[in-house]
Amino acid sequence: MTISIWRYSHLILAVSSFLFLTLASITGVILAFEPIVDTANTHQVADFKSITLSQTLPQLRKKYPDISELSVDTHQSVIIKGSNIDGNNKAVYVNPLDGKVLGIPSPKNEFFQWTTDLHRSLFIHETGRFLIGLTAFLLLLISISGTILIIQRQRGVKRFFTKIVKENFAQYYHVVLGRLSLIPILVIALTGTYLSLVRFELIKSEKVSLQVDFDAIKSSPAQKPEDFAIFKNTKLSEVESIEFPFSEDVEDYYTFKLKDRELAVNQITGEILAEKQYPTAQLLTNLSLDLHTGRTGFLWAIILAIASCNILFFIYSGFAITFKRKAKGIKNKYSAEESKFIILVGSENGSTLQFASSVHEQLIQSGEKSFLAEMNQYRVFPKAEHLLVMTATYGLGDAPTNAQKFASLLTKYPQTNPIHFSVLGFGSHAYPDFCQFAFEVNQLLHQQNWAKPLVGIHTVADKSPADFGLWAEAWSQQTNLAISLKIESPKVEEMSTLKVLHHTKDAFSEDTFMLRLVPQEKVKVTSGDLLAIYPAKDHRERLYSIGLIDKEIQLSVKLHLNGLGSNYLYNLNVEETISAKIVRNKAFHFPKKASFVMMICNGTGIAPFLGMISQNKKQIPSQLYCGFRNNTSLEIYQASLKAFQENQQLQQLHIALSREGTKQYVGDLVKRDAEQFAEVLQNKGVIMICGSLAMQKDVVEVLDTICQEKMGKSISYFQSHGQILMDCY
Amino acid sequence: MRNFCKIGLFVILLSLVQSFTSSAQTTKYKCMIQMTNYMGEGAYIVVSIVDAKGGYDKTLFVLGADKKWYKSLKEWHKAYAKKPSNISAITGASAAGGDRSVVELDIENSKLNSNYKLRFESAVEDKPYYVKDLEIPLTTAGLSAKSEGTGYIRYVRFSAN
Repeated sequence: MTISIWRYSHLILAVSSFLFLTLASITGVILAFEPIVDTANTHQVADFKSITLSQTLPQLRKKYPDISELSVDTHQSVIIKGSNIDGNNKAVYVNPLDGKVLGIPSPKNEFFQWTTDLHRSLFIHETGRFLIGLTAFLLLLISISGTILIIQRQRGVKRFFTKIVKENFAQYYHVVLGRLSLIPILVIALTGTYLSLVRFELIKSEKVSLQVDFDAIKSSPAQKPEDFAIFKNTKLSEVESIEFPFSEDVEDYYTFKLKDRELAVNQITGEILAEKQYPTAQLLTNLSLDLHTGRTGFLWAIILAIASCNILFFIYSGFAITFKRKAKGIKNKYSAEESKFIILVGSENGSTLQFASSVHEQLIQSGEKSFLAEMNQYRVFPKAEHLLVMTATYGLGDAPTNAQKFASLLTKYPQTNPIHFSVLGFGSHAYPDFCQFAFEVNQLLHQQNWAKPLVGIHTVADKSPADFGLWAEAWSQQTNLAISLKIESPKVEEMSTLKVLHHTKDAFSEDTFMLRLVPQEKVKVTSGDLLAIYPAKDHRERLYSIGLIDKEIQLSVKLHLNGLGSNYLYNLNVEETISAKIVRNKAFHFPKKASFVMMICNGTGIAPFLGMISQNKKQIPSQLYCGFRNNTSLEIYQASLKAFQENQQLQQLHIALSREGTKQYVGDLVKRDAEQFAEVLQNKGVIMICGSLAMQKDVVEVLDTICQEKMGKSISYFQSHGQILMDCY
Repeated sequence: MRNFCKIGLFVILLSLVQSFTSSAQTTKYKCMIQMTNYMGEGAYIVVSIVDAKGGYDKTLFVLGADKKWYKSLKEWHKAYAKKPSNISAITGASAAGGDRSVVELDIENSKLNSNYKLRFESAVEDKPYYVKDLEIPLTTAGLSAKSEGTGYIRYVRFSAN
């Protein structure tokens, strides 16, 4: 599969670093507990922040003449060192004010020491340090590419934290947790990288060295240590460590290592002998250590532990996603040149490909030559008779990565034979631009001379098998090839029993008839849904658009000479019952809220609209455009239409007759009322189209021109925003 | 035979007492080791008394607690491996660049001014090893001067405790 450069780098980086990353994360989780365990062993005194050096240094030196060093750890406990501080102990925790021994520092825990070594150098010294440093850098790149992928997926920085569509466990939590732990992981990666750079001296973080001029050291005026200005003005909390003078000699001095600088202080006069600020690199090193180890704060250490656990989860889920994708690879038995059926897939993460593969396999099983490819592999297919495009939409209505070249390839390679096409869009209503790319592709194909629509565009929301089934049925009906989503003949429990109430075959005019059925049990149904009948009681299914009038299902059927479904329905008698399935078709329901609804149909396509108008109790402003051959074929609907207008359920009716009078098609009426259609779309109104594909093509072309001219947008924009609904056959 | 045994035991006891008293005649020196500002891991340093021929006589102090690095102090480790002694009481933390370490050395008086030397040997992970980072004669004068190192040690100073 073609995948975007970011996804590709994200994957490559992850693959190349996962071993060390796993190790570093596991040890990282363990090490995060070191500061947590450490907090248990602290000897902090009250008011620590207010203690000055004059309150503590002279005292301690008096009590411990042997003292050589004092240090303050990250938990603000004071440790002093010396040869004979407290019996055999060379280092103890003390109370800085009275010098009382508070505890004995435990040697660094061997287990943590061992883990630290593993974490830093994998026990292979410099090579290990380099590998771990590189891993930290790769983790940084992975975080960055991951962030970009989330931004792409969420369609914009501002939508970074909006809802994520749940496709499967690994994918969903990879993204959800990725967003949450992004900052700590970035911090870990950045500080880890920085520390490695310092370690390898790529960033110079030189230690400060104080230059003391020994010739200038004076032994007078002597002052009491308690009165040294520097002692009075320096707080213990600013101190990292203090080295005490080695002897009483004036040339031995105090060395203060404070948080931001180092100084040398004369032990007799209290004069500052030398002073130096730490360079930025060193301050950054300290900050990096604080952030990377969590040594300063309990809370941050916990966050680091969680982030490290997340890295482990990302490694697992990342591979789960990748393997899932790999498993969906394309395998072709027949070449593009010899195949009669061409299936093109536009898929970002491979879920659409599942559906396409299923169709592909079923075609091959029924002995057809089928070729499955990515949309970017579009070219001339010399023996093709059917083109199936199944595509998802990515980003803000954009093409998925493996379909980005489709539009240009389409103009580059006109097909030599006429080909029947059908477009199936995959998407989720969670995104505003539902299936926009599929609508665009459909539009593009309509413009090709060689392309003949076989069934209108269908959409599959959230991988719904029902949605897919709708398309499969429509397509199977046209090609006489059974396609299903591994769902064979309908289950008994899905079937409903319906009784025939009225049948207009006696008043038969032209070749159209209507019948009304009433479900014998309670079922959920509304206008726009479909009634699936099984005339031969086998897998063969025929779908009819439902118009719901007075809680009765009304069908409008055109009788075909050898039509399986139409003959079956025609031969039914009043009071007879049939078994049929009601298929919900939410994509073609009358809007509950809309400023305006325009309905366009021809022939029996009027059926769902008759129901919708009769259900329009809220009197949402609506108009009906319908096309018929002649007045006779319209006659059957006249009475109801007249009643609707009188009840204000339908505001206006426009009729085009193709074989009488001005010989107009319904598309001509749309063109005539272009202004009005543009206005409806601009005001968030809805246009619904039902009828033959030829009519649909015609009307969509007219509407597209209107959209382009009046609004500068393509019709696919309105399609993906649910403002243009279609159900054609 | 019985008498002979008794005499033998007495001689052994006597020699033990003597060795004990002789080892008790020591002086403690405070020793300050000031490191240079080298970059890298903490240095492992071992302070030992060597005789005139350069043979290791006694280990006085080891800076660096992790035994796995001891073999990087090659010469000392060779001798130590042959004749291991308990050094846990004279072991401290390693010293990083710029650090100052103060350790206590326990030196037998008999070895002072009698042709022994004090050797400071140092090693840092992935950096050169110095057998004689610093070597000074174990004399009264040597222990009162400030001596410059040649490797990771900037200088060493002593003071009698």
